[in-house]
Amino acid sequence: MKRDVLERVLWSLSIDRFSKEKFKENPEKFLGRFPLDAEDVRMILEFDVKKLQEVGVNPMLTMGYWIEMSPDRQMSSYNKKLGSESEYSASIKG
Amino acid sequence: MAQIVGGFLVPHDPVMFVAGDAAPADKAEKVWGAFETCAQRLADSGATTVIIVGNDHYMLFGTTCLPKYCIATGHLEGPLDQLPGLKRGQIENNEALATAIAEHGAENGFDWSVARSFTTDHSFSIPHQLIVRRAEELSGRSIAAIPVYLASAVDPYITTERSRELGAQMNAAIEAFAGDDKVAVIGSGGISHWVGTKESGKVNEAFDRRVIDSCCSLDMDGLASLSNEEILEEGGNGAMEIRNFLCAMAAVNPVSTDLVEYQPVPEWVTGLGFIELKVA
Repeated sequence: MKRDVLERVLWSLSIDRFSKEKFKENPEKFLGRFPLDAEDVRMILEFDVKKLQEVGVNPMLTMGYWIEMSPDRQMSSYNKKLGSESEYSASIKG
Repeated sequence: MAQIVGGFLVPHDPVMFVAGDAAPADKAEKVWGAFETCAQRLADSGATTVIIVGNDHYMLFGTTCLPKYCIATGHLEGPLDQLPGLKRGQIENNEALATAIAEHGAENGFDWSVARSFTTDHSFSIPHQLIVRRAEELSGRSIAAIPVYLASAVDPYITTERSRELGAQMNAAIEAFAGDDKVAVIGSGGISHWVGTKESGKVNEAFDRRVIDSCCSLDMDGLASLSNEEILEEGGNGAMEIRNFLCAMAAVNPVSTDLVEYQPVPEWVTGLGFIELKVA
């Protein structure tokens, strides 16, 4: 159940322009419309992609939301968050 | 009646477009050259329609509906995920054949999801631009394209066996289609690659060779017998795309194959294989 809602939120933040704008304006308010607990909200706000994957979120969504919404949007930072030193990524945004 | 004239198994690696210079020049040249070889062979085949079997990357289909298999029967444009050198545009579909495949399926135990107006992603649009559009340039004739999307990247995955069965149903539908279309089928997918995970950049050449050997020897049983766990462990989440290969192989029902190229390219995060499926 937890994964389902998290994936819905991350898909919205990866694809949907309206959701992206609302998240940028007020992330807590945007997340408040979903049935998320405090840990869910923390994972999303802190871009904790490692933990999100551990609870079952599809890595394509953690990558997509990172590219679209994270502060630096760099895949090297994403890899470090996952605990990887890889300099390569499958990002479609370069 | 429509005729199947062949097919190809090729990658759809977006990193080639966004970080083209990252790969060693000799490898890059071979990969781009392999696409050109496939385009020339498609042009020579006389194909008038190409079916491209790809998969969503959790962009097109959201959490509200995740089809196991989907065919676009109407208006077509793409890709959603534009890349440098790969811009969105309108695409000519073969609506009559696509509809016939879906209707044939409904009568034979395959309940296709259909997209009446569809936007592709890069899994369709990379081979479409580099092979189909290029074959149009080389041949001087128009080639329509039909997208088939399998659940190969987002679970619940279509099973390998169902992918193969679906390809066989496509084969039967094409051969029963009352048109003079000459049809080729492209299976679009990388071999080993890890997308968005901490292993990203790893390429397992041994696994890639195993998949290529199965494809080239037309060992669909061997390919279909790979478990999800085995694929995920040895080839990564991206390698689940070998379902697209299985479907295309069954759709073409080839008598022989030709390995056009294989390059393991960690810089492009993928084992990249190119195989021609020959019907004569």
